[in-house]
Amino acid sequence: QNVSVKGTVTDATGVALPGVNIVEKGTSNGTSTDFDGNYQISVPPNATLVFSYVGFITRETPVSGKNMINITMEEDMQSLDEVVVIGYGTQLKENITGSVSSIKSEDLVNIPQVSVDQLMQGRAAGVSVTLNTGQPGSAVSVRVRGVGSIQGSSEPLYVIDGVPISGDSRNIGTSGRSIASSSNLGDDGAGSTGVSPLASLNPNDIESVDILKDASATAIYGSRGANGVVIITTKKGKKSKGTLTYNTYVGVQQPTKMLDVLDLPGYAILQNEMNEIFDLNEQVEFLRPELLGPGTNWQQEIFKTAYLQNHQLSFSGGNDGTSYYLSTGYTDQQGTVIGSGFDRISLRLNVDSKVTDRIKVGANLTASRTNEELILSGNSRGIVSLALRNNPAIAVYNPDGSYAGPTTPTEISLAVPNPIAEIENTSNNLRRSRLFGNLYAEFKLFDGLTYRTEFGGDFGYNKNDRFQKSYSYGAITIESNRLSKRREDTDFWVIKNLLTYNKLFGDKHDVTFLVGHEAQESAWNGVVSTGVGFISNDIPTLNLSDTDGDVNDEYSGSTALESYLSRLIYSYDNRYSVTASIRADGSSKFDEGNKWGYFPSISASWKISNEAFMEDFTAVQNIKLYGGYGEVGNQNISNFAYGSTLNAVSTGLGTGFLIANFPNPNLQWEESRQTNLGLDFSLFDSRLNTTIEVYRKLNSKFLYRLALTDFIVGGTGPGSIQPPWVNLGEMENKGIDVTLNYNTTPSDNFSWNSTLTFSHYKNKMLELVDGLTIFGQTNLDDTNQILTITEVGQPIGMYYGYKVEGMFRTLEDLENAPIQFGQPVGDDSVVGRTWLGDLKFKDVNGDGVVDGDDRTVIGNPHPDFTFGWQNNFNYKGFSLGIFIQGSYGNDVFNAIGRSLTATNLTYRNQLASVLDYWSVDNPNASHPRYTNNATNNILISDRYVEDGSYLRIQNVRLGYQLPSKVFEKSGISKINIYGSIQNLYTFTKYSGYDPEVGSLNQDALLMGVDNGRYPTPRTFTLGLDVQF
Amino acid sequence: CSDDFLDRPPEDSFNAAEFYGTPEQVEASTNALYSIPWYDFVSNVSWCIGDLASGTGRTWDPRNQDFDNFAITGEHNTLGQAWTSLYAVIAQANAVINAVPLAATGIVPESTINTAVGEARALRAIAYFYLVRIFGAVPIIEDNTLYVDQSSIPRNVVDDVYRFIIEDLEFAAANITYTKTSAPGRISSNGAKAMLAKVHLTRRNYQAAYNLSAEVIQSNEFDLMENYGDLFITANDNNIESVIALQWTGSGEYAEGNAVQSLYALPNITGFSDGWSAIGPSLDLQDSYEDHEQDDRYHATIMDADYYYSEINGGYTVPNNVNAQGTLKAIKKYVVGKPEFIGGGAMQSYPNNTYILRYADVLLIHAESIIMGGGGSVGEAETSINKVRERAGLAPLTNPVFEDVFQERKIEFALEMEHWYDVIRMDTADAIEYLSNVERGTWDDSQTPPVLNSKMVTVTADKLLFPYPTNETINNPALLEDPVKYYND
Repeated sequence: QNVSVKGTVTDATGVALPGVNIVEKGTSNGTSTDFDGNYQISVPPNATLVFSYVGFITRETPVSGKNMINITMEEDMQSLDEVVVIGYGTQLKENITGSVSSIKSEDLVNIPQVSVDQLMQGRAAGVSVTLNTGQPGSAVSVRVRGVGSIQGSSEPLYVIDGVPISGDSRNIGTSGRSIASSSNLGDDGAGSTGVSPLASLNPNDIESVDILKDASATAIYGSRGANGVVIITTKKGKKSKGTLTYNTYVGVQQPTKMLDVLDLPGYAILQNEMNEIFDLNEQVEFLRPELLGPGTNWQQEIFKTAYLQNHQLSFSGGNDGTSYYLSTGYTDQQGTVIGSGFDRISLRLNVDSKVTDRIKVGANLTASRTNEELILSGNSRGIVSLALRNNPAIAVYNPDGSYAGPTTPTEISLAVPNPIAEIENTSNNLRRSRLFGNLYAEFKLFDGLTYRTEFGGDFGYNKNDRFQKSYSYGAITIESNRLSKRREDTDFWVIKNLLTYNKLFGDKHDVTFLVGHEAQESAWNGVVSTGVGFISNDIPTLNLSDTDGDVNDEYSGSTALESYLSRLIYSYDNRYSVTASIRADGSSKFDEGNKWGYFPSISASWKISNEAFMEDFTAVQNIKLYGGYGEVGNQNISNFAYGSTLNAVSTGLGTGFLIANFPNPNLQWEESRQTNLGLDFSLFDSRLNTTIEVYRKLNSKFLYRLALTDFIVGGTGPGSIQPPWVNLGEMENKGIDVTLNYNTTPSDNFSWNSTLTFSHYKNKMLELVDGLTIFGQTNLDDTNQILTITEVGQPIGMYYGYKVEGMFRTLEDLENAPIQFGQPVGDDSVVGRTWLGDLKFKDVNGDGVVDGDDRTVIGNPHPDFTFGWQNNFNYKGFSLGIFIQGSYGNDVFNAIGRSLTATNLTYRNQLASVLDYWSVDNPNASHPRYTNNATNNILISDRYVEDGSYLRIQNVRLGYQLPSKVFEKSGISKINIYGSIQNLYTFTKYSGYDPEVGSLNQDALLMGVDNGRYPTPRTFTLGLDVQF
Repeated sequence: CSDDFLDRPPEDSFNAAEFYGTPEQVEASTNALYSIPWYDFVSNVSWCIGDLASGTGRTWDPRNQDFDNFAITGEHNTLGQAWTSLYAVIAQANAVINAVPLAATGIVPESTINTAVGEARALRAIAYFYLVRIFGAVPIIEDNTLYVDQSSIPRNVVDDVYRFIIEDLEFAAANITYTKTSAPGRISSNGAKAMLAKVHLTRRNYQAAYNLSAEVIQSNEFDLMENYGDLFITANDNNIESVIALQWTGSGEYAEGNAVQSLYALPNITGFSDGWSAIGPSLDLQDSYEDHEQDDRYHATIMDADYYYSEINGGYTVPNNVNAQGTLKAIKKYVVGKPEFIGGGAMQSYPNNTYILRYADVLLIHAESIIMGGGGSVGEAETSINKVRERAGLAPLTNPVFEDVFQERKIEFALEMEHWYDVIRMDTADAIEYLSNVERGTWDDSQTPPVLNSKMVTVTADKLLFPYPTNETINNPALLEDPVKYYND
């Protein structure tokens, strides 16, 4: 005879759980709880009830004749920890066979970084994240296990809730244009133009970040997996009862350091000396330097204390098979350099719902709008560089309020522009509106077989308005104002159809088999309209321009990728696990015959500690050995790179055509073959968890734009022909990643959780065609300079130049030294003679003269190792987080330092150290003699290569969770307050603003080149989290 | 997905392999060869070589002073632009020369194809003519696509480079069907002959130079402008005197116009922050005029304090503290004013033509080739040189000698980026002596009256050619080896 049993199901905090499944064990007899957590079921008195609910530990309770059974269910923290997202599915962590690093949301909360890529820094072994500039909203360089490509992007693929998004801020694979223009000339821009492709995503919405590092893990992403895959999963509703959370923080940001450039009296001394040595007319106002005031401190003028605020309101919950997460956030970050800033409004909606027992549907959607005020940085004409080089004799403003500036012809030709006038008269606003997300439906077909169909999209609309006002400063009048408006649409969609079969046979054989098809298309269209000659600066709209000067430009294109994929995961008895996958990708980037690439992988793991013979061995726990091999590809180049295009241009004879590039119909996939070997184990009763992985990545057939001699392509200037993309060479990255995690024994009062990540890689170029050498070049002080060399046997992007052996201080030394650059010895203050006080360059090749052939490797931008160390201390309601991060053994090329010690031009400011210059009266000086113009002393040399090692206290955060009795009657369930300091202090020997330089515009050939980088600020924040 | 899902041809440009199928497309194929690839050369280097090195201009400008001082090395970025820009012209010309006949034969009339190829070959010849005079032996490239896989490409002997130039110009003269009036701005058959005359003059083939220049004169296709100053007014682009000129636009797009004005003009003439007056008329040039008042060319070439120019910005008076680069003067030639007065343009991109060859040059080639014994009579030489002098307002010469023509060319083409090439085609010793005695100094105006800071630079024979860019010799060390013959016969 059945009895009726009823009761209430609650979670550990006493909150009722609706929608909990209750089944009579061994039967199909079941029910579920109502909205208040109540249930009623009719069962035999000796039955056992099974309570199950997603995210909670399943409980079984015998009825034993009772009529009332109230159940408290515990959240399954264990299972949340151990499920890892692996792309097109999830897997238990203990069965993972490839290399995956996971970052959980609790590691990411309340850190004042606006973008998730910045947040990954130091959190995962083998993943190197550097901020290329401190400008709000700008892109970072993420390198998973070394540098993978030379000219294609080395950034990983991001997959946000199943939607792939390229981390490449240069858009190499699509339009080839950065979406922001930052330069006066043209739209491609000089300096740092990369804005972060991830800035649209609110980090507070992120549940987890899983980084697939080796090819056995990424092969399922095939042609896009060569540089690693970062899978970002956003939060889902899981609690029974709805919760409302409000998070906020406010902060102030300050520059961390000022460089010691000359004040006015020092500058006057410098000018007087130079004028005398260079035989120039004296500047009468400087005749008595000691009478002068301090002059303009340009650094103080451009830097400011900047504010930061962030608010987020989120709702989450679920019932009756439906769960939801809804949030809205607002972030506003001013820049510490005036004129720059970033704000974002975002909305997110995640819903999952069971339509029937067999059908589940869901959506993850984000709408966001970001606004960025951009300034030029990382360039000789960038604001930071102008401020450092501008002379203190010029005021910011004249007494009448106009901009001060150069007045004499000489001054006009030599002085740098007034950075304040540049900022205030140029507005460069980028507004990005974006809708991205996916919709899916999942059908349980029969016994373990699931069909999932998914549509994902990423639709962007970017507006970039750049207005250059007319203004005058000093004797210079810029009469013509110029407005450039860019409107760009980007449309991306992906359709996936996946069949997954998952079944456990005989309690021991766990099989998951996946087959799928995927098609994706990315299209873009942009229009750039430029107008000049506006009557006033007040209303910059194109209809008010002088139509004669209007310029229109449009760009448009699309790429497509079609893929078939399959994966088999087989685990036996939680001891052995094997994963094999293959993906075929067809890409529009290649010509007929080369379109399809095939990317296989295989990997396996052995959980040694689960073996019977290990039962008595308890000193080491959770031992797992795993390894794998996979092949992945890279196709991140412009579309139709295999063919040759004609660009239409306007000429005095009408529309004309220029050949844009050389074709290469044989172009094919870049390949990466990767081997990974890992060992996991725990010590001290599983309190210390260790992961050690070693890997070898062999990248070959690089997509490389061949560097042909200038007389074949016409250089890089107007009318030149782009060299062909080719496949060449082979590069190796070998490395080791170590992660140590320690937890104290759980206790009520005190806990300490510590995670240390350590990454080391060694990059080496194994092969290039025909002994080709590749040079990395950029513009320094308006001159194109070779800064790096890439050649066989060496790592990519090594600094390249002359070696300095000190300074010529005696005539004897001078006369015995090899001839320097064909210049005779002799005191000629103008140019063309080597003299005492000049740098003594090394005759590296020993041919008795110093010339271009003596350039050699002078520095290495690759670190020996990088590390991150996160510590969380909890004592009662208090929590303290300390995050330390750093890099050791890498060099930085101090290009801005070169400019600030050139002492070859008047009217430009220099570092204070240049006053100790060589002269007959100061033979032991530290700085060379002053030489006019194109002096050899400023040749690219190891003089500018500095140790870029650093240890940074990246974040210190102190929080306090208020005791719940304080507010228990108000409906609030949790209140947390905290204060934090980001970028607290950096220990380094580097003399510039910040040793963390990154790659200029993510270019692998320009790593660690500091050319007036926008420095990263120190940020003080106060925050509050409230949960209802 | 269907098969064409993965087929994505360019959507914002033409597939080069599928173009040149109509007469209009073939005619337009050469348009860009008259401007964009020349941009870096004309805007940044041509005047450094033509006028700074030769001493008709002077500067303190840090990037360019090395030309004045003969301190140019292969590292010099500005010199490197001469190399890259001229080779860009050659690369683009080769693309037309090779692609047009391949795509258009059988579809487009033969004469249309040959005219386009002729224009491209003439422009390629002009680029090589500059290269061989600046660098000496250089690699001859006829089809750039053949060299994509090669890392070592030799340079070719000077004689063969000239033979290559002459063959190009002869083809152009024989095949181009345009005349000055039928296609204003384009190289006509007679235009190609005029350039060929100049090449022969440089090679001291005086008879060929005489015959060709006489033929061009007799064609009556060209004539002198009545007023010298009118040559440098933008509205007069492609005037009757213009034989070959680069054809810029006022589109405002970078490099579609030229930037010469940016470098020559005083501040506040252009309407933008350019107007750097990076070069001033040298004291030597100022001194070389027979008479500043009588010779119309002085006012049209050099800005003196308080001079007035009605053609600049609707009327412009030179400030009385004018002082470009210590010369107490500034440059007028090629200074044309703000976009609204010259049909468009933007900073560093102005629409005014750059002369490559004008009729006055043809007349002076004619006179010089006669004087040097190439044929003709003294009377013909007098007629030609005196046409140029009389237009300038100067008295005629009788029985002119080489030095007269040299002097006339120096003034007539001053600051037109030309003087250097007249200097270096003299005997080496004469060229060295001339260059070493040019006054390259400045006026120190902190004293009243201003004091002369004299400066001369001792020039050696090796300075008459410029070094190859170091980056090129690193990329292609064959440039440092002995030049090889291009022609086997």
